Amino acid sequence: MELFLQFCINGLMLGMMYALVAVGFTLFFGVLDVIVFSHGDTVMVGSFAGLSMYWWLNAVYPGLSPEWTVLWIFFAAVAAVVAMGTLAARFMIMPLRKAPPLNTLLATMMLGTVLREAIRLFFPDGSNPKPFPRLLPDWAWQNGNLILRFDNILLFSMGALVIILVYLLIARTRLGMAIRAVAQDEEAARLMGVNFTLIVMTTFAVGSAVAAFAGVMNGLYYNEINFSLGLLLGAIGFSAAVIGGLGNIYGAILGGFIFAFLQTLGAVVLPFASAYKDVFAFGSVITLMAIRPTGLIAEPSSQRV
Amino acid sequence: MYYHQPSRDLVIPGPAGCALMALALLAWCILFLKAEDQTSILVYMTSGSLLILIAALSDLHKSISSTIIANEKAWDYCMVLTMLFLILIFNDDHYTLFLLGTIMVYATAVLGLNVQLGYTGVINFSAASFFGIGSYAAAMLTSAGLPSLLALLLGGVFAALSGCLLLLPVLRTSGHYAALVTMAFALLFKVFLEVSEWFGGPQGIPVAPLTLFGLDFGADFTLGGMEASFYVKYDLACLALLCLSFAFVRRLERSWFGLSMDAVRCDETASACFGIDIARWKIAAFTIGNLLSGLAGALYAMMLSYISPANFAFADSLLFLSILLLGGMGNIWGVILATGFVVVIPEKFQVIQEYRYLIYAALVLFMILYRPMGLLPRKTRSYGGLP
Amino acid sequence: MGIATLFRVLIFCLSLAGLSVDSGIAAAKTTVKVGFIGPLTGGVSSNGLGGRNSAELAVMERNEDPSSRYAYEFVALDDECKSNIGVQAATKMAADRKVIAAVTHYCSAVALSTVDIYHRFGLPVVVWGAVQPDITYGNDYPEIMRICGTMINQNEEAAKFMRSLGYKKFAIIHDTTDYGKSHKDYFTKYLVENGGEILDVFGVTSDQQDFTAELTKIKSLNPEVIYFGGLTPLGVRVRSQMEKLGIRAQFEGVSGIKSDAFIEGLGKELAEGCLSFIEGTPTEKLPGGRKFLKAYQSRNFAQGPEAYGPFAYTAMVQILDAIEKVGPDRKKVTATLNATKDAPTLVGDVTYDSHGQNIVPVISKYVVQDGVWALWEDSEYASGKRKLVNSKQ
Repeated sequence: MELFLQFCINGLMLGMMYALVAVGFTLFFGVLDVIVFSHGDTVMVGSFAGLSMYWWLNAVYPGLSPEWTVLWIFFAAVAAVVAMGTLAARFMIMPLRKAPPLNTLLATMMLGTVLREAIRLFFPDGSNPKPFPRLLPDWAWQNGNLILRFDNILLFSMGALVIILVYLLIARTRLGMAIRAVAQDEEAARLMGVNFTLIVMTTFAVGSAVAAFAGVMNGLYYNEINFSLGLLLGAIGFSAAVIGGLGNIYGAILGGFIFAFLQTLGAVVLPFASAYKDVFAFGSVITLMAIRPTGLIAEPSSQRV
Repeated sequence: MYYHQPSRDLVIPGPAGCALMALALLAWCILFLKAEDQTSILVYMTSGSLLILIAALSDLHKSISSTIIANEKAWDYCMVLTMLFLILIFNDDHYTLFLLGTIMVYATAVLGLNVQLGYTGVINFSAASFFGIGSYAAAMLTSAGLPSLLALLLGGVFAALSGCLLLLPVLRTSGHYAALVTMAFALLFKVFLEVSEWFGGPQGIPVAPLTLFGLDFGADFTLGGMEASFYVKYDLACLALLCLSFAFVRRLERSWFGLSMDAVRCDETASACFGIDIARWKIAAFTIGNLLSGLAGALYAMMLSYISPANFAFADSLLFLSILLLGGMGNIWGVILATGFVVVIPEKFQVIQEYRYLIYAALVLFMILYRPMGLLPRKTRSYGGLP
Repeated sequence: MGIATLFRVLIFCLSLAGLSVDSGIAAAKTTVKVGFIGPLTGGVSSNGLGGRNSAELAVMERNEDPSSRYAYEFVALDDECKSNIGVQAATKMAADRKVIAAVTHYCSAVALSTVDIYHRFGLPVVVWGAVQPDITYGNDYPEIMRICGTMINQNEEAAKFMRSLGYKKFAIIHDTTDYGKSHKDYFTKYLVENGGEILDVFGVTSDQQDFTAELTKIKSLNPEVIYFGGLTPLGVRVRSQMEKLGIRAQFEGVSGIKSDAFIEGLGKELAEGCLSFIEGTPTEKLPGGRKFLKAYQSRNFAQGPEAYGPFAYTAMVQILDAIEKVGPDRKKVTATLNATKDAPTLVGDVTYDSHGQNIVPVISKYVVQDGVWALWEDSEYASGKRKLVNSKQ
């Protein structure tokens, strides 16, 4: 029982991470109908931006309290990644809007490679893993094999809060209305006086901010970051967004948790070698797509002819 | 004979023009492949790209393409002869021959991808996995004692059959959803190879060299008194495979098969209304494509003589895709040209070592941004232009 | 504009290019090429770059030495840790007759796929980092030598050592590359022979980030030791997540984590007490060791030498010595290298057996103490001042 609970806790943390990444995929798909595959690497850049801020703070203001340090790290990561994300949106993704979807997919994959290789080559000793500071209190409640850490709870609730905020932004504000309008019909939205470019860039800013948050959260949770962490995270985030149904925030959350569940299940329950767990998880994704070809929470599939 | 042709275009009469151009190409290829030091490589590259630029900016490219279109057969033969000459000239240069072989094998695999993606619009992010299935089938079957020609053919068949596993999800999904299915397969495939003991695990397995009618492809031989590399034999085999696949794909494109495939790609709903069975064409394209990838993979494995899972990762599927995009979706000459670039240029720039991958990714990115249709975009079908 | 113009332009360009080819640089000494192949891009590139820098250092030092008979040109190629790219690089190097010998490969799959090529072309190579036994023992090629030990000795020693400390129950996490998997196989073999017990084995892919599922299961099995077979990046993640889940077990690694990056990646506190085993006498202990590290630092390479850098350096020094002695001739260099016996080097005395394998008499045991890899015998753990986790001593 304890063991089961522990798996659940780990799975939930993992699921939250995947959900945060998947939300980004789904947002971008919503407004522009594109898959921005470099999103996983954006997360990675976020965590490295946070780390650089930490180093800088350490050098300039040694002895700053951990709370403020964390806040500054989040701020730096979000600022850096939002700037990068909006620039990429303006000068790379928007020009590609009319191109076949494959071009965008490949272009963003290459952008991801460029980011990854750039960090590896130009960040000081970037090809090796970097320690991420432990800044959250390490209180833990232990009962036999079950360990519940305060920092996990904190990160989980912060992640949930971020997703709720994004949801409220999309569902309840004027800006959100404009985003949804663009997502539904770009031309009609333009005719209604929506500034298309501005809305797209804002959406990318929001999505990138979530990615930066996920990056720092990843760092604070694992206390270790490396240049290639975005590669698999991107693939999984994309899978999660698609299983859930693209363009739907609920779907992204659902997909994130399902993927985490599949991986945990694969590692724990499979009677033969646990090494097959990724085979199991991706195999399940393929099966799921065969059964529900447009994701669990399907987008309305009426087609304009 | 009628086709659209502006009058000021200069058309070199017939086959002679083709031969001239082939000769120029041959000369450039020899010089470029022989070039060792960085300055001469740069000089050849800039001179080559300048020529292309001049041709693209002036009307030259029109005369070139109309010469080629008007004398298609002659051009085909010229290209085969060019390749044969290249192989002959580099007969003892193992490394260059290996590169040439790699180009031809990759081009065959990308031709398969072209049938899927370029003609029918079936998204496939796991081309390298099917290539890998061919390789592993060849390795396992030859070690089980099957004759290598049979193993080669079965490599293609196995790849096509394995593709059937994905048929249902590929048929039911479209767009990004289909991309995910094949991507998941590519990720799964490599991990599967790594963890399964039966396929040699992560360290890979050796592959027996190709033997045809008692001729051992793995041994050096003498050619007119000169010691020639064993790769000459492999290159000839690769050339044969490439020619067959090329002819096959072109026939396919020009037949009503190709027409139906194009229709499916352009508008599924409309073609369904016209009575085209979408599922049938998608299945056909997917299977044919995987068959070609598998055949290429099997031959590649024999040429390499050792394979391991790391060769067939998701990144390699992306490489195949970027070749197709670079060449121009649906243009089979473009595919061959782009394969040449993608295989040779990184090799010629080993000097930049650890920066290689970064620069490669950035180049592809710019390519997609500024020339989204590829180097040689596919032309709209023209009727009556063919003799 | 027509074909004729095209031709004129072409001919002009070609003649231009032709001029530039022949303008070679005249040198006083004959130039001899020596090669290096390793993974310079991708996930394990830090090791590849460390090896390349070390090999290059040897060449630089030799070129600065006025008494050397030849001028050496260093050729480094990238194998991306993929066997097809490795075959390409090996063919290029081996087919270039000007390359006399090379230091090659970090990844075992790549080394296994290229040995036939070196043999075919008669190029003597010294493997610097790939540890799979079959690379040397799977063939009789005189051209293939290996300076680093195989993982057999390493794991035999490790298993015996851990048993001597009284540990009995082990759990294994290994990556599914050839490196991690072979380590798991040999360690399991020797541990069971020596009366240890393996509770469970977990294979993980080399780019996995999260190990909480595996570690939670391990926690419930309550092993005394977690054996990790893999490289630094993964090792850092596993060790730090052990802490997160409150697992109290001794962390035992393999040669792949014996790098400064491991300690840096974890921080001093977490790395404390981690074990690692590596072939050869420790670099710092030998007279040449400190000199090597100092020389390496003085060149301002962007990356550290990592665990296998000294091997690459030593291999290159041996090759250069052989060329100095018998001249730039592949066959003679092969014979000279094969005959190496009890040669004192940076990584201990080197002797190649009939398969070209360096018989490494010593396996060094390391433990992290105060943020550095300390030799076990000199550590406070051996003297009993500090204790390993779950230690029975």
